[in-house]
Amino acid sequence: MPTKPSIASSAFSRRGFLGFAAAAASVPLLAACGGGSASQGGGGGGAGGTVKFWDMPWATPAYNDAAKKIAEGFSGANNSKATYQLIQWNNFYQTFSSAVASKTGPAVSTGGGFQAFQFEEQGQIAYADKVIDQLKENGQFDDFLPGVLEPFKTDKGYVAVPWQLDIRPLWYRKSLFEKAGVDVPTDWPSLLEAGKKLKDIGAVGFATGAGAGNNIGNHLMIMMMINNGGGVFTKDGELDVMNDRNVEAIEFMLELVSNGVVDPAAVSYTTDNLNAQWKDGKAAFGMLTLGVPERVGDTSGDIVVASPMAGPHGDKAALIFPNNIMMYTNTPSQEASEAFLVYYLGQLKELWKQKLMNALPVFKSITELPEFTSDPNNVKIVKEYQPIGKTFASQGTTLSADLAVLDGGQALNQFTQTILTGKTDAKSALQAFESGLKSTIKK
Amino acid sequence: MSSTTAQSGLARARRGLAPGGPGAGPSNNNPNRKSKLSAQASRTFFWLLLPSVVLLVLIHGYPLFQAGIQATHDGNLIQTGNFVGAENFAAVLSSPAFWKAAQFTLWFTIVGVFGSWLVGLGLALLLRTKIPAGGTFKVLLLLPWVVPIVVSSTAWNWLVATPDSLIPSLFRNLGLGTPLFLADPSLAAVTVMVFKVWVSFPFMMMMISAALASVDTTVYEAASMDGATRFQQFSQITLPLIARSTYISWILMTIFCVNDFPTIYLLTGGGPVDATTSLVVLAYRTVFQDFATGPGVAIAFLMTLTLVVVSVLLYRQIRKSSVE
Repeated sequence: MPTKPSIASSAFSRRGFLGFAAAAASVPLLAACGGGSASQGGGGGGAGGTVKFWDMPWATPAYNDAAKKIAEGFSGANNSKATYQLIQWNNFYQTFSSAVASKTGPAVSTGGGFQAFQFEEQGQIAYADKVIDQLKENGQFDDFLPGVLEPFKTDKGYVAVPWQLDIRPLWYRKSLFEKAGVDVPTDWPSLLEAGKKLKDIGAVGFATGAGAGNNIGNHLMIMMMINNGGGVFTKDGELDVMNDRNVEAIEFMLELVSNGVVDPAAVSYTTDNLNAQWKDGKAAFGMLTLGVPERVGDTSGDIVVASPMAGPHGDKAALIFPNNIMMYTNTPSQEASEAFLVYYLGQLKELWKQKLMNALPVFKSITELPEFTSDPNNVKIVKEYQPIGKTFASQGTTLSADLAVLDGGQALNQFTQTILTGKTDAKSALQAFESGLKSTIKK
Repeated sequence: MSSTTAQSGLARARRGLAPGGPGAGPSNNNPNRKSKLSAQASRTFFWLLLPSVVLLVLIHGYPLFQAGIQATHDGNLIQTGNFVGAENFAAVLSSPAFWKAAQFTLWFTIVGVFGSWLVGLGLALLLRTKIPAGGTFKVLLLLPWVVPIVVSSTAWNWLVATPDSLIPSLFRNLGLGTPLFLADPSLAAVTVMVFKVWVSFPFMMMMISAALASVDTTVYEAASMDGATRFQQFSQITLPLIARSTYISWILMTIFCVNDFPTIYLLTGGGPVDATTSLVVLAYRTVFQDFATGPGVAIAFLMTLTLVVVSVLLYRQIRKSSVE
C-alpha cells in the first residue's frame, strides 16, 4: 500500500538533491578549469628593484637550498636584490600563467623546457641579447659548450639562456653482457643480435618504459628517429613524421619488440618499474637519464655509459633537452633582471661542485671541475654524447612552443605505447602519430 | 494525540521548527502578526544564507563561469584564445577518442558501482551474523577505502606490473602463462576495474551495514514463521528495506567512478594505448598534456551534464522507493 513520504525523504528534497548533485558533478569541471586565465600580458616583479626568481625542484631539496643561497646572494646596481621562490612541477603551467597574467609572476625563472617559447608568443618574454653581450664581455660566452645556445636564438633575439642539459645517454650492465658472451652494441644490427642473446639469459636487451608518468619510452622513439637522421620536424620547423628514416627507425623498434628484445610489459612500466629492472640486474642495455647508478642504487661500477650507437646509415645522435632561464617583460628593472641572470650563470659551478645536479652543465669550465670529472660516465657523456646532441626540433636548430605539445602530449605517448605493444606496422603508427600532432599543434 | 496534531507536528518538524517557534500557538491566529513574523523569518534566513551563497558563487560559480569561457575558446594553459562558439563541443563529440573514453567510463562505472555493491552487500550480511572478532574484521575491511590511493596503487603496481611481480608469478607457477596485467589493453581495463571495486567496497559495506542495522529483526522472525526461505527473506525483505540506502550509495558511487582520476591515472596513466582512458583522464590529458583547454573543458562539461542526468534518474528511483 502506498504511504506518504517519510520525514527524512521530504527533507531530502528534489531541489536540495539537485544542488548536491550539481555540486558533486561539477568536480570534473572545476578540475579541468585550468589556467589560460587571460590574454593580457605581464607577470609581476618585486617592488623596490627586487628581482623575483622562480626555480623548480630540479634535484633533491639540497639543490634548492643551494640555489636559494646563490639567488639571495645577488646584489646589483642601485642596491637591487633577488628573492628565491620554489615552484612545484605539479600544474606549473597554471602557476606561471596565472601569476604572469596577474602581474605577480617572476622577473626571472627556470621552468619547462619550452616554456620560454610559449610565453614569448604572448609577448611576455624579455629577450636575453643584452645578457649574451655581457657574457661575451666577461668571457663566459666562450665557455658555453658547442651548440647549446643556438636553440634559443630566434629572429627577434635570444628567448632564454641555457643553464643545464638534460641528456639521454645509453647505459649498459657489464656483467650481463659478460654472462651472455656478447659485445656492447655499437649499431642497430648488433643491438638486435645482442638483445636476442641477452634474452636467452633472461635479461632485457633494450630496457624502456611508457607507463604512468614515465616518458623514457617517448624519448626513446624520438631518439631512434634522430639516431637514424630522421625526426619529427624539418629544418624549417615543419612537421615531417612520415619520412623514410622515421619509418625505418620504427620498423626496427617493432623488430626489437617482436623479438622480445624489448620487455613485452615495458608499455606499462613506470619509472619505478624501470629503475627496479636496472637495480635487479635484469636490464642490460637502454636509454636513460644521467646518474643511473646513483638513481637505482648500484654504484659498484657495473652500470656504465655505452658509446652512442650508429644508425644503419651511419648517423649518430643523442636526445638532449637544454633547460633554460628566461626573463619576463614584467620586471621592476630589466637591467636588474639581466644583472641577476649574468650573476646566477656565473655562480652555477657551485651546484656541480657540491654534486647537487643530475644534468650536464652548459659551461666547459664546469665539465672540467674535479667534482664532475671524478665520474667517468660524466666525462664520456660530455665527450661522446653532448657533441651529437639534438633536441626535439630534430633537424631544426631552434626550439619552439610547438615542442611542448610533442614532449608531454598524448600523441607521442599513444604512439610509443602502440609501438611497444607491437600490434601495428610502422607506417600506420606514424600516420596516427602525425595526425595526432597536427590536431594539437594547430591549436 | 489527534491525527491533525500529529500531522501538524510532522509538518513543523519537516520545516525544522520547534513547537514554540514561529508559527506556533494561538498567537498565529492573528494574520498581521503572522505576516510580520514571516517577513522577519525571511530576512533572518536571507542573512543566514548569504555567506553560504557568496561562498558557493566564489567556489563553484566563478570557476564554472571561467570553464564556460574556456570551453568556448581555442586557448591553451597560457592564453584564453579566440571565441569559437560550440566548436570545441563539436570537435569532442566527433572524436573517436572521446567515445572510446566514454565507453570505458561506462564500463568502469557499471563494474565499479555494482561490483563494489555486491562485495559490500555480501560482507555486510556476513558481518551481521555473529562471527568471532567481527569488529576487527570490519576495521580491516575498511583499509582499502582508508589507505591513500597513492599507496594502494603503488602496492597494486608491485603486485601486477612486471612478469616477475607476485600475481603473474603465481599464474606462471600454476601453469596459466604469464599474464601482463597492465601491458595488455584488455587485461589492463579489467585490472583497473577490479582495483576500483577493491578500493570502493568498504564504502558500500558501511552504507549497507548502517541500513541493515535499522532493519527490525522481528520481521525476519515473522517471515520465517510464515515459511519464507532465506532467499525469499533476502529478496523480499532485506533488499526492499535497504533500497533507499542502496540507491543513495549507487548515486554516490556513480559520481565517484565517473570522476575518478587517481585510481586510473596512478595505475595505468590511461594506457596502454588509451585502453583505460576514462573521460576525466581524457579531459586532464587534453588540458594539461596537449594544452588544449577548450576541448578539455568541453569534455568536463559533457561529463557533468551526463552525471546530473544519471543522478536525477537515480534520485527519482529513491523517491519511488520511499513512497513504496
